[in-house]
Amino acid sequence: MLLDSRRLGFNMNWPDLSMSGYGFYVWGSYIFSLVLIVWEVVSLKQRKKALTQQQSSNTVPASVLRGSANETTS
Amino acid sequence: MNLYKYASPATFYPLAGKMIPFFAITSAILFAAGLYWGFFIAPTDFQQKDAYRIIFIHVPAAWMAMLLYVLMAAYAGIGWAFNARLSSMMASAIAPTGTLFTLISLVTGALWGKPTWGTYWVWDARMTSTLILFFLFIGFISLQSAIDDPRRADRAGAVLALVGVINVPIIYFSVQWWNTLHQGATIRMLGKPTIAAPMLTALLIMLAACWLYSVAVVLIRLRCIILEREQNASRFAEVGV
Repeated sequence: MLLDSRRLGFNMNWPDLSMSGYGFYVWGSYIFSLVLIVWEVVSLKQRKKALTQQQSSNTVPASVLRGSANETTS
Repeated sequence: MNLYKYASPATFYPLAGKMIPFFAITSAILFAAGLYWGFFIAPTDFQQKDAYRIIFIHVPAAWMAMLLYVLMAAYAGIGWAFNARLSSMMASAIAPTGTLFTLISLVTGALWGKPTWGTYWVWDARMTSTLILFFLFIGFISLQSAIDDPRRADRAGAVLALVGVINVPIIYFSVQWWNTLHQGATIRMLGKPTIAAPMLTALLIMLAACWLYSVAVVLIRLRCIILEREQNASRFAEVGV
């Protein structure tokens, strides 16, 4: 075997999909977390897309505004 | 090199854009590695069996929730004290991700509680203070959304965030101060951890993944907030992005 886990200093165990009978709780936790993370990423992408579309309709040239781009505080 | 120039939203915007891919890709790799380590290498616990594997998402989420609250309050405080717009925007960008991790922590904690304690929820000190943290995040977001003027919204949010910081040490020390159902700390700043090395490795990889994920999404949201708040959004697209 090319990649022997015991040579690397650990034992690789195939997990029991039923999680010793606790599958609902374990997989439920990971699926819930995954759904929230995916939702956050997708909603951010949609927000960015909407802003980009809004931006493209804005016709103020950057060269006009560049002078005020280095302000630090309001 | 003048680092202060990055305190300007217009200057920080392109820098954030360059940093996002690094944090996002590294986070995805670490999530894969952490889950692999947690499910394939970490052994089954002799007492909790495989139910303990919830730890690899529950604990990093709980740590991130507390850390993000402290960061949010610090940025909000700096923004309020020094009238620094970028700091206030950063606080607004952190809040939804902090809420998300607090919710993950509460739900995965409840799902872990049922097989180990026999109940999804008890009004235990650790769980109640974490629920208060969730309400503080929601309150911060709601307060900022309710005020039309962004500067007034930032100031009001900063007051709430700074007052709420007191809840973070309460969450952390609740298991020592009160006799709670929640188990004590298995990883300590001083002293050896009371957790097996393969489990600890998976936990730390997942913590790093959650941390890098948070940085990536906060930077993406910060860029959106900068665009939304600046009246002439087009300059950020055209000036060196």
